[in-house]
Amino acid sequence: MSVKHVLTTCPYCGTGCNLFLAVADGRAVGVIPCKTDETSQGQLCIKGYNAHAFVHHPDRLTHPLMRKGEQLTKAGWDEALQKTVDEIKRLVAEHGPDSVMVLASAKCTNEENYIFQKLARAAIGTNNIDHCARLCHASTVAGLLQSFGSGAMTNTIPEFEDADCLLVTGSNTLEAHPLIGARMLKAMEKGAKVIVIDPRDTPLSRIATISMRQEPGTDVAWINGMINVIISEDLYDHEFVAERTTGFEELRELVKSYTPERVEEIAGVPRQHLIDAARTYAAADKAMIAYAMGITQHSNGTNLVRTLANLAMVTGNVGKESSGVNPLRGQCNVQGACDAGALPNLYPGYQSVEDAEVRAKFEKAWNGELQAHKGMTLTCAFNQALTGEVKGMVIFGENPMMSDPDIGHIEAAIQKLEFLAVIDIFPTETAKLADVILPAACYAEKDGTFTSTDRAIRVVRKAVDPPGEARPDWRIACELGRMLGNDGFAFDSPADIMNELAAVAPIYGGIDYERIDRENVRWPCPSKDHPGTKVLHTGSFKIGKGVFAIVEHTPPMEETDEDFPFILTTGRNLFHFHTGSMTRRSVKLQRESPEPYVEINSEDARQLDVLEGQSVRVSSRRGSITLAARVTDWIRPGTIFIPFHYAEAAANKLTNNALDPIAQIPEFKVCAASVEKA
Amino acid sequence: MRIAFEEMKADRLLAARTEHGNVAPVLLARGDVPGELRTDVPYQMANILLRVVPYLGSDRVAVVARKCDEKAIAEMSKRGLLDPGKVSLIGLACDARQVSECRCSDPCPSKVHIGECVKAAPADKEVEDLLAKTVPERLEFWTAQFRKCNKCFGCTSNCPVCFCDECLLEEKTFTPEKGIPPGFAFHLIRSIHLADKCVECGECERACPADIPLLALRKMVNRDVKELFGFVAGDGETTSPLLTTLDGEPMEDDHDVC
Ligand code: SF4
Ligand code: SF4
Ligand code: SF4
Repeated sequence: MSVKHVLTTCPYCGTGCNLFLAVADGRAVGVIPCKTDETSQGQLCIKGYNAHAFVHHPDRLTHPLMRKGEQLTKAGWDEALQKTVDEIKRLVAEHGPDSVMVLASAKCTNEENYIFQKLARAAIGTNNIDHCARLCHASTVAGLLQSFGSGAMTNTIPEFEDADCLLVTGSNTLEAHPLIGARMLKAMEKGAKVIVIDPRDTPLSRIATISMRQEPGTDVAWINGMINVIISEDLYDHEFVAERTTGFEELRELVKSYTPERVEEIAGVPRQHLIDAARTYAAADKAMIAYAMGITQHSNGTNLVRTLANLAMVTGNVGKESSGVNPLRGQCNVQGACDAGALPNLYPGYQSVEDAEVRAKFEKAWNGELQAHKGMTLTCAFNQALTGEVKGMVIFGENPMMSDPDIGHIEAAIQKLEFLAVIDIFPTETAKLADVILPAACYAEKDGTFTSTDRAIRVVRKAVDPPGEARPDWRIACELGRMLGNDGFAFDSPADIMNELAAVAPIYGGIDYERIDRENVRWPCPSKDHPGTKVLHTGSFKIGKGVFAIVEHTPPMEETDEDFPFILTTGRNLFHFHTGSMTRRSVKLQRESPEPYVEINSEDARQLDVLEGQSVRVSSRRGSITLAARVTDWIRPGTIFIPFHYAEAAANKLTNNALDPIAQIPEFKVCAASVEKA
Repeated sequence: MRIAFEEMKADRLLAARTEHGNVAPVLLARGDVPGELRTDVPYQMANILLRVVPYLGSDRVAVVARKCDEKAIAEMSKRGLLDPGKVSLIGLACDARQVSECRCSDPCPSKVHIGECVKAAPADKEVEDLLAKTVPERLEFWTAQFRKCNKCFGCTSNCPVCFCDECLLEEKTFTPEKGIPPGFAFHLIRSIHLADKCVECGECERACPADIPLLALRKMVNRDVKELFGFVAGDGETTSPLLTTLDGEPMEDDHDVC
């Protein structure tokens, strides 16, 4: 008998805490925090402490399954892979490569995502590759790329601790990114002012210096309002604006009409709070903005992100330590999946598929012709499946039947597909609809890397064997690539794959396994002797000058009316993760938050005669679900909140799939809903 | 290595070593390649020992232990959680920085194998300052501190003497599942449950992502226990006053209740 401690990376949020999995006789039995880890400093959140809990769950998929009529029956690897390859070949031959969509996964490693996109591009011949970043930070990637030239966090996690002012909006940091929240608490302890703007009270807003509850969907208004105060009181950074930005005069014109009075009318934010917030933010020497889905998941998400970038730039709060704009990425490897090119318009390292020179480089590297037009986004692919243009999908580790807006629509789209293969660790709601299911290894059962939200390349190390016949996703994808007739998939290990990724993506140029085994390196890291980069845009922006965006407030796509008088907003809580397929199989996490619930303001509840814990029916124009009421003053009247972790009352049956026109991210954060006693 | 396997004749060694640029807890068997063993052990080894004991069978283990680990192991063996005959201690003396971090009054292991003992810290200023406050002021202080708690259970899972079979902090009468922060009960239950076990190792405070001064809280409760019952946790002999009959007789069985 023996016990070993394997250093690896937490499989939950994008903070990227390292931890030790305690392994006894081949089983993961516990978690010990890593005291010397730069990110976590020997502390974890409850999800991290329970990262071992789902690994050996009896529901794990252990062998391939194939559909025979209504039934999914046990199959061998050879026949399941062959069937998948035959179907892909048939669809490509009959309908062209764009009839196939590949969904990559923010839960898989960088190396795996690299292989997934190469599978789509080089082996199948389509740029139809996307993943759930579309649902969370697509608007960040697009927005910050336009404003600054790079779509990632401008600073690193430890820097939060040394800021003088933190502006946190649309992020429930203490619950969704607890160890980043911990840094914010440390900053507060040292005297930093914290401003929180959120329609719900969050654990952080309740202890913040200034807390404002805006009406969902009015963010452009309050941000422009802050800029209005900053410019009219001459609190802006003249030097920075003159030297490092363009478009200031237009911005000055734009914000003139966003007076605190008008903002109060639109957003319901008391004018004095807005003024205080603007003064506090502008007065700080080092101010950091942190935001998450509350900003991005809107039908104007890209513009919203750019408005936040405006706010940082007018005050000169970009490009130095502890000052910047910081999207907090939700999944352990959503940053890395984007970096590795699991996006329909970008090759690995954010290089455009429409740029002929770049394309030529990849054609040479991958030894074959590549498609010149960009591929389909995930949200678009489901629409196209409904109309019959997309006929086959290969889904690696994603669960759109829970995670995507308007599930009814997703299900109809999947039913119309001629072929669906799902590669996953659990029989998810999506897998149950598949023609072929291939069992995958989870994070504890394979080697690889995740890139955390602050661009650090963190190592995932194999601690235990996969259950039954399950295999790591990279092996499965390589096998598919090889069987499709492409000879660019002969990799022996994730280290080999990283070498190829580093060769084609300059931001990863200096990354190799020997180095990251000991060192916490953050991209851009163009060469082996480059130390990696902590702060982005220090001397100048990646695109030269920072660009102010001119964005007016527009109402959300769906407004409330008599039948649907509430604004529904969705999100997650501390104890569960996304579609719940891992956390709801973890005993301690499930105990902390066992059932679905809807948060409703106590005044609204009184009018509806609804008591705490009572069952209510929540409906939108797309469907209804029944769940328990949680009556609270922590949410503003007229707004309700539902966490989206629970299959038995899936919030995404209700949400609207109205899309941001630029990034095609759906509006998860605002839809009209009604509440009645069930 | 030599001490463990030759002098102490142990079958296993629980220590810390450099791995992947970090310091990792490691359980070695006789004959294993030791790697770069560390003398600056940042882990509470007693806690890790308790986690590995179920997998050791009849093996004897030597563990690198500070004075607080030594005391925690005494509390464990008193409660029948491990067999003291199977555990040997490689005494690690805390350095001045560590002693001042824990404001430790008792830093020197019974037998020192690694490092040199330094003087105990003078009185704990944090505790003194808190005791100087009025009760309402103290309540206000702790309320503000507890508001930051995000219920990670780091204070329990890293504590070497937190080993109840069923943890009341995971039971919904006192800590209902209503998100965070948890109520006062969470912290008070923990305080009371550790009143006769806490060895003031400070690991709870170091593990707390909210920087709540948990060690100060522990010390204040321990001080009360000492005043009321004359009991201090950490030796292998004295039975906890909470586990005696009201007449001071040790209870017969059930030593592993919490
Ligand atoms: S903060 Fe995120 S990465 Fe760290 S332990 Fe919690 S879920 Fe894991
Ligand atoms: S100081 Fe904290 S971790 Fe150490 S024994 Fe006491 S309660 Fe447990
Ligand atoms: S370690 Fe701190 S944050 Fe975690 S549960 Fe204990 S008191 Fe709360």
